[in-house]
Amino acid sequence: MKVELQINNSVSALARFVTWAPSPCRIRVTDPSGTTATAVTVQLSSVSTANAGAVTFRQGTTGAFANTLSLAVPVNGTSVPFFVAGKFGQPSTANGDVKIEARVKFAPSTPPTLVGSTTLMVRIRKSTESLTTAERDRFVNAFGKLNNQGQGRFQDFRDMHASSAALAQAHGAAGFLPWHRAYLLDLERELQAIDPSVALPYWRFDQAAPKLFRLDFFGVSDQNGRVQFSNTNPLQFWKTDGFLGINRSPFFSTSQAPPGLFNENQTFTLGGPNNLYRLFRRMEGNPHGSAHVLFGGFIHDPPTAPKDPLFFLLHCNVDRLWAKWQLQNSRFDQSVAAAYDSNPPNGNQIGHNLLDTMWPWNGVTTPPRPPTAPGGTLAASDCTSAPGPQPRVQDCLDYHGAINPLARMGFDYDDVRFA
Amino acid sequence: MPKKSAKPTRPQVRATETSLSVATDPKGRVADRVTAMAEASMTICEDDQSFRAVINVLRDPKEPFEVRNAALQALGAAAFRVIEFAPCRSDYIATLRALAEDRDPTLRRRALGTLAREKDGYAQKKLIEGLKNPDVALVSPEKALQFLSYDPHAEAYAIAREFVKKPPNDEAKAEALRLLAADPKSAPLFEKVLRDKDELRDNRQLAASALYSLNPGKFQKHARAMLLDKSEFEDIQATSLTALAQFGDQEAVGKDEPLLKGIQKLGAKTRSAKYKKNARQFLARHGR
Repeated sequence: MKVELQINNSVSALARFVTWAPSPCRIRVTDPSGTTATAVTVQLSSVSTANAGAVTFRQGTTGAFANTLSLAVPVNGTSVPFFVAGKFGQPSTANGDVKIEARVKFAPSTPPTLVGSTTLMVRIRKSTESLTTAERDRFVNAFGKLNNQGQGRFQDFRDMHASSAALAQAHGAAGFLPWHRAYLLDLERELQAIDPSVALPYWRFDQAAPKLFRLDFFGVSDQNGRVQFSNTNPLQFWKTDGFLGINRSPFFSTSQAPPGLFNENQTFTLGGPNNLYRLFRRMEGNPHGSAHVLFGGFIHDPPTAPKDPLFFLLHCNVDRLWAKWQLQNSRFDQSVAAAYDSNPPNGNQIGHNLLDTMWPWNGVTTPPRPPTAPGGTLAASDCTSAPGPQPRVQDCLDYHGAINPLARMGFDYDDVRFA
Repeated sequence: MPKKSAKPTRPQVRATETSLSVATDPKGRVADRVTAMAEASMTICEDDQSFRAVINVLRDPKEPFEVRNAALQALGAAAFRVIEFAPCRSDYIATLRALAEDRDPTLRRRALGTLAREKDGYAQKKLIEGLKNPDVALVSPEKALQFLSYDPHAEAYAIAREFVKKPPNDEAKAEALRLLAADPKSAPLFEKVLRDKDELRDNRQLAASALYSLNPGKFQKHARAMLLDKSEFEDIQATSLTALAQFGDQEAVGKDEPLLKGIQKLGAKTRSAKYKKNARQFLARHGR
């Protein structure tokens, strides 16, 4: 007998990635030989080595997850649905480091027989300081390839965040956080197209990050603000707008926590006693803006900030802070007024209302949108269909499908559990 | 039933008005004012009065450097709130232009840096003037060249070539080379720097990166030659190998027996674990 396990309801190897959010899966018998019954009881379990990821199971859309799951599977090939989620606190460190095994006990006196298995990865965004050397190298290599000497797809991401018209689509109004969530996801999916085992790490800017500012990772700045890399680091070939290299002059000791910005707990209080997004989004000034101006160089100013790849790790932390605040205060539901700033006194500009599509993924290039829309639609994923090729602001709130499972965007943070 | 734990006390963030009044109080302690200025960055652009108060501190040469610098940082952070900052923007740029000629060199450099990244014509003119005439220079030549590279153009290229020929220091030469990395006409210059074993290693590595982006075919040819050159420096060979591994024409490289043997030798002779690993991974990719 053989069974087939489909992760994210797909046979594609590129779909075998899960987060803390439940991923829809299915199992079916592909070879019924060895049994005469109309259905067999299959037990699913997660097998992984030390320091590898782990997954848990449940049968339906509600209820607790468990380490094993028993399913009655018809032998006629009909699929049976179930859900898999990463076990919180146990993310993967490599692609395929978790295996789901399917076993059937054919007779009471015999041990369960392995009838199918699949490997997968609990792909989670982690702190730069907790990446393994291999994870770090895979990420840096993928980022180097995405830039490809300034001739790669990365230039689109740089162009999305350059002109004042473009910047107005994403800053200084309610859509700041949703727009950047989509922006990061688009970039992350492009990195995953190069190496599917990569997840965007975050730079926890309110803490010391001694591993990040090293020659083998995001480089060390010399006295003139030029970032130096090791000879084996592909970021030494980084180029944007025809400019070779990265300019970044830290105004603080990179082995210590930077001064002058709100820490995580202070940031969570910005929403006030009623935890309003309208107030919380002022984190765009501090800690977000304050983190940008910890350095001279590209990252210091809005038009040049994404020329430094550190931008994306900084914003990944900004997004993590929002995600954590959302979890603490149940702010995933767009119909909850406090979850978004829908009615500011002067109204929201286009691109900042819940129902608005977001530039540039919507391809709209007529005023008041910018005159060009670099990069096309948002990159697709084999793991989920959300947020779609032309996301709206509202599509970016329920990022791990806490309210609507179909809204799951396919990423999670190592310290933000599923709601 | 488990006992309910006491609700943790929330860390306090001061009210904006309090932060602003502390930040702009000339009688306050410098350290307190710096901290308060960072807090105020959250809301500086939400009303004209707050913005004016911070601008006034920044423009006042009698204020302590630390407080003025914190004001500059706070405005820089607030500038990320593009839509809300729009009414303040022209005054912000005007203040930066004034600051570009401030007597404090750090404030001058930081203001010019932001203006250069905004491709500000006034700043570019001042930077070029300073490179042509050191008596009127607002920043060091290496910083001026670096700032001009944010928006390279013909006049900047011409000056950069002059600085490559007659650099006042190594830093200025490196920045001039970096500026020229955007200039397709400079590919022959980078070939020369790359193959010159008497040139600074940093400049040779910079030339490798520049040439690779200006003319990948040419670079691949030189990278191959350097990997096969027994007298070449190991770090230059490692840079060449990284470029070939990451961006090279893998089909051509995979068929190049002498090159693969050269990489085998590099992997065998090097004492660097990283270079060994790189060579091993490269060869493994090509079935060795």
